[in-house]
Amino acid sequence: MIEAYLIHILILICIYIVLAVSLDLAVGFTGMLNMGHVAFFGIGAYTSALLVLAGVPFWIGLIAGAILAGIAGFILALPTSKLRGDYLALATLGFAFIIESFMKNWVSVTRGPLGLPGIPRPSFFGFTISSQLGYLIFAFIVMLICVLLIVKIEKSPFGRMLEAVRDDDVAAKTLGKNVRMTRSLGLIVSAFFAGIAGCLYAHYISFIDPTTFSLLEVILLFSIIIVGGLGSSKGAIVGTIILLILPEPLRFLGFPSSIVGPARQMLYALILLLIIYFKPKGLFGRVQLGET
Amino acid sequence: MSIIVQLLINGIMAGSIYALIASGFSLIYSVAKFMHFAHGSVVTVSAFFLFLLVGILKFPFALGAILTVVFGALLGLLINLVCYKPLRNRKATNAVLLIASLALFIFFQSLMIALFGADIKTIRRGAISTGINIFGGIITELQIIIVIVSVVLLVLLWLFMKKTKIGKAMRAVADNKEVAQTVGINPEKIYNITFIVGSAIAGIAAVLIALEQNIEPNMGFSLIIKGFTGSIIGGISSVPGAVLGSYLLGLVENLGIWYLPSGYKDAIAFFLLFIFLLIRPQGILGLKKGVGAK
Repeated sequence: MIEAYLIHILILICIYIVLAVSLDLAVGFTGMLNMGHVAFFGIGAYTSALLVLAGVPFWIGLIAGAILAGIAGFILALPTSKLRGDYLALATLGFAFIIESFMKNWVSVTRGPLGLPGIPRPSFFGFTISSQLGYLIFAFIVMLICVLLIVKIEKSPFGRMLEAVRDDDVAAKTLGKNVRMTRSLGLIVSAFFAGIAGCLYAHYISFIDPTTFSLLEVILLFSIIIVGGLGSSKGAIVGTIILLILPEPLRFLGFPSSIVGPARQMLYALILLLIIYFKPKGLFGRVQLGET
Repeated sequence: MSIIVQLLINGIMAGSIYALIASGFSLIYSVAKFMHFAHGSVVTVSAFFLFLLVGILKFPFALGAILTVVFGALLGLLINLVCYKPLRNRKATNAVLLIASLALFIFFQSLMIALFGADIKTIRRGAISTGINIFGGIITELQIIIVIVSVVLLVLLWLFMKKTKIGKAMRAVADNKEVAQTVGINPEKIYNITFIVGSAIAGIAAVLIALEQNIEPNMGFSLIIKGFTGSIIGGISSVPGAVLGSYLLGLVENLGIWYLPSGYKDAIAFFLLFIFLLIRPQGILGLKKGVGAK
């Protein structure tokens, strides 16, 4: 019993590491205050779940989810790549909200608030990952590949360009760099990986509905990357582990479940407030929020 | 015909509520220069305070309403003093303050769920009236009162900003904080007053919403979205602009559900927001300031 519980937490940690590291690529590296990350998570989850439920092989669902999330990132980048700071934050939050209302209202496809039950576990060429431990290994491998790829991107010339645009876009422009294009690409790559996380989530929990991808999730993700520190993949990973484990004791204190949920959210909100007050750079942060 | 009239009435009704929220929101934005997302939770918490007084403790409604407005104003002041002021002292940027306000928003929403439960509450008084028929559309007496109250309040706010000494000081800080300081205006004091005024209006909005609709812990999100969309459409640095934008939003939203399923009502606000951010980010009446700036 306790083993199953531990594995469950570890799988969630793997999924959220992908989400957090990819969000940090947009917020920490590119300096875009993107509050709509959860929309890409949702698009990946719904796309992959719907395709696999329709009989498409899992790996195609995974790739399609990631690509569609990337396309959504491109669409979001079109109007927002020239916006800054709090305007960008609001526009991206608005985007997440529009996507959420499609999930809720496009009933003929998404089944609306009823959600999608019975999403099958991944299977490759006839071999299905059905055990918890098997899924943990699978999620861990996918997470490792994603993180290594993102770190590689961050260390590449393109990654340095992202940071240049973040630190001083005028200087980057003077050097002949296309700032809007760079920011858009940063957002697209970030969205792509969030789509992968969405797919991992959908096929693990096997049920998704619009509430999974709400504003509450945005606060959790921001707490993670700010606690860990912006512009640091190590920070995003450590932040994920801390924030996902921290509220778990609430489960064992004997509160009714109607209190545990809100208490968890209050805890996240408080942690976020305390960290931006006492340690605005987080644990391993290289840049501070809104410095750009 | 009667459908159009009804949708127009609904639009003006919604616009009146949005305008109250947007005016407080844009007032705080123009003076303190950050998006006070938790303005939505001031409305929610005030509405639940009213529910506690009138619905549970059986206070007379008028007393409950007055206490609620006072409560809203104090809550806004408290948020400013406990959360924003220490962050400002640490030279936090407006993005940091925005994140902080979002965290506060979630905090209050979860607190209300923990205290009152997630279900819908009603504070309805008396029988539901049949309403008055105007060109085939129906408007209730309560709705007429809401529209009048909100218009009167907005005019009072405008006079307060234009004519009183405090209002002028607020505009001075909004315009240029450093210069205002050199002529002896204490910005922190002005921030406090701004939060009190803006949140008192939010408290009034809470009373009106509680009378007309149901209240629930999640209502603040949709309200603040409408509030800031209205503000941005009209021009966030201008309170009259925010009011104009809110009525426009109310109308577009209600006429929009003629074509779209009503579930998309909230999304219409964001489509409108996107269009404005693309074409005219400073809004209808706003100055081009701070939009693309660092």
